[in-house]
Amino acid sequence: MITSPAPSQTAAARQWFLAREDFGAMVEAIRGTGRCVIGPTIREDAIVYDEIHAAADLPIGWRDVQTAGRYRLEHGGDTRVFGYSVGPTPWKRFTFPPNLTIAAAHRSGAIGFDPAVPDAPQVAFLGVRACEIAALAIQDRVFLGGQFTDEDFRARRSAAFIVAVQCTTSASTCFCTSMGTGPEVRGGYDILLTEIDEGFVIQAGSPGGAAIVAKLPTRRPSHAEAGAAVDNVESVRTQMGEPLPMAGIADRLKLQLDNPRWAQVADRCVECGNCTMSCPTCFCTSVVEKSAMDGTSSTTERQWDSCFDVAFAKVAGGDFRARPRDRYRQWLTHKFSTWWDQFGSSGCVGCGRCITWCPVRIDVREELVAIAPPIAPVIRPVAVEPVAASPGTYSIARLASIRPETADTTTLTLTDLDPAFLSGRPGQFVMIALPAFPAVPISISRFRANEIDLTIRSVGATSTALDTLHPGAKVGLRGPLGTFWPIEEAYGRHAVVVAGGVGLSPLHGLVDALVANHDRFESVSLFYGSRTPEDMLFRDDLAAWSAGKAIDVAITVDRAGPEWKGRVGVVTTLFDMISWDCTKVSAFVVGPERMMQASVQGLISKGVPTDRICVSMERHMECGIGLCGHCQMAGRFVCKDGPVFRLNDLGDMFNREGI
Amino acid sequence: MDDCAEVIAMLNGTWFGAELSPETQQRLARLGDIQDFDADEVILREGDETKELGILVSGRLALRTLVPERGPVTILSVEPGDIFGWSAVLSDAQAQSTVVATEASRALVIEGPKLRAALKEDHALAASLYPRVLKAVARRLRATRLQLLDLFAR
Repeated sequence: MITSPAPSQTAAARQWFLAREDFGAMVEAIRGTGRCVIGPTIREDAIVYDEIHAAADLPIGWRDVQTAGRYRLEHGGDTRVFGYSVGPTPWKRFTFPPNLTIAAAHRSGAIGFDPAVPDAPQVAFLGVRACEIAALAIQDRVFLGGQFTDEDFRARRSAAFIVAVQCTTSASTCFCTSMGTGPEVRGGYDILLTEIDEGFVIQAGSPGGAAIVAKLPTRRPSHAEAGAAVDNVESVRTQMGEPLPMAGIADRLKLQLDNPRWAQVADRCVECGNCTMSCPTCFCTSVVEKSAMDGTSSTTERQWDSCFDVAFAKVAGGDFRARPRDRYRQWLTHKFSTWWDQFGSSGCVGCGRCITWCPVRIDVREELVAIAPPIAPVIRPVAVEPVAASPGTYSIARLASIRPETADTTTLTLTDLDPAFLSGRPGQFVMIALPAFPAVPISISRFRANEIDLTIRSVGATSTALDTLHPGAKVGLRGPLGTFWPIEEAYGRHAVVVAGGVGLSPLHGLVDALVANHDRFESVSLFYGSRTPEDMLFRDDLAAWSAGKAIDVAITVDRAGPEWKGRVGVVTTLFDMISWDCTKVSAFVVGPERMMQASVQGLISKGVPTDRICVSMERHMECGIGLCGHCQMAGRFVCKDGPVFRLNDLGDMFNREGI
Repeated sequence: MDDCAEVIAMLNGTWFGAELSPETQQRLARLGDIQDFDADEVILREGDETKELGILVSGRLALRTLVPERGPVTILSVEPGDIFGWSAVLSDAQAQSTVVATEASRALVIEGPKLRAALKEDHALAASLYPRVLKAVARRLRATRLQLLDLFAR
């Protein structure tokens, strides 16, 4: 026995069809409840929101054509009511008026201050789009979501009956799909309309909406009509094309505070404030006192203000945002970045008004991409499926041998391995653990036929315990994990490996692979620097590589005693030896972060392209699979998005303190 | 002239001398002498007057400084093309470190007074030499600054 209908039947049951010629009945029905209907109408060659007395007041048949800095109306020769997208008026004009008296004061005998009592008219907003509903919800959070609230807004918002309209067309300036606010209306309405050729598919979203719908001459929509309603909205998504690359935009912008583009766009900006006035979410205001001529009374009026106003951030001692570039940066970073910190969402809904109504055609979409470009996809060639990936599960391996590299660094050779470990790639790491000791991430320094090497510096409990093991001991392994060196991308180029100190460990396997395939590269070089000769790893291997012809090895130390006959100087001094066309260099850099920063700077100054420099980052890791959150570097998990990164993937995150 | 041609060939093999005009190369070659140093030979001692500017053409030199309780520490090596005793371009200059050949080495060595007199008189030589000396000093300063940062510190 079926006790409830399927969801699709439920949705269909809620839908009704209203013929085009009966649309006026809806306006009348709403007005009949005592509400003032505010909706689209034409004034001064634009579709604005104003009082609607009858359906004839609506912009029947009119379309808008919008591009950056341009807005025109054209008649489409049909009877569509909502054939336009959005005009210059944001609905906040009615929930958050541009001018509002918030208090009165008097000086007749004693002085007194009288706050204004909210007096919200009962209204119905007709024709509210998905982006505009999202904007109302954003202002709900701004004005009502915190400790202190705006009671006038609350009253006006509560008094508004929302008749939403699905967009069936979009302007070239629309980008709701990028902001995740449309084109579909997903809630926040009393009645929802979708305009199709024959009329409107409507549904109620509240008891009040249902009461109005019940008064209308409706019928159930046919399958074709219901299908057309869905298709019309979906076509808008197609019209808007690919969404903007908005992933991580809040963090991306925070890393671009010094971008020269701020000054360039500010040179174009005339600071008219149109973007903030037409924006449906901007909420900044100033307060103006208006006094009677005799000085006995005054009113306090709140007015919309704009962060583009030259006096907006002024104090007695000066101006905190004196330059246009400061003001533009404030606006853009607030909308797309710091708004998240304050209110838990973006401050932009993608309505595009700021683009259309900008007299100098500044397109916020272009600026966002130019100032905070998308982070390129992470290098993620096919990696072997790791074993025991989940924390707490381990694959057991046996210690075949152990040998010291330096005073505090040891290489473990592990055998009896799951085949996955042997199929790992240079640059990847494993999580290694012993009973009672937490797992630690260690790069695989060498792949052998049936063994892998892990080179471990004794710096913590686990690494110190590993250092005391004897051959035959068992350890727990998870992996291989993380990204690896894109060796194939360096074919035909000068492969340059730059290692600092223990950084040679995650590069050892790479050097092995480069040496084994050296004829595929223009040249292969290793620049290795360590603090002192005693801190050098893999001395036998270095000697063997130096003796062969497959790789040029240059070694330096930061300081040495008289017995050292080799080079002395920081690793970057080795770059003086580079004589190749550096645009054809692919570089692989690992070491302590300062060493990598200095090396990368040196390589870039030589002309090595940033997308041809790969680094391996180190961060605290607990799980190694992106679940524990420890290794986050802005928008990246070093364990699963790295540890190997292309430099340009990291952007500003590299070489920035405190990330 | 044969000696001179040999020196010019050596200069051409270094970043310091490679792009000098033929006239300046010849002037330098005539100003200086080619000197050979044995491994472990001390060329200049820290604190002594810097009497000569050297342009290393082959081998390797170590710049060492005496650190109390640690003895001599090599802080930088001089590779072919680089200079040592650069303060000889100034009068009354003292060596900041001890210069030791860590292997058999060869250099073009120019006496300080002779060099300074030539630089005063020959503006073309001065215009070519000073930027190169400055470049060498700047490289050394940059390397020292990075050492101060301690690239291997966490």
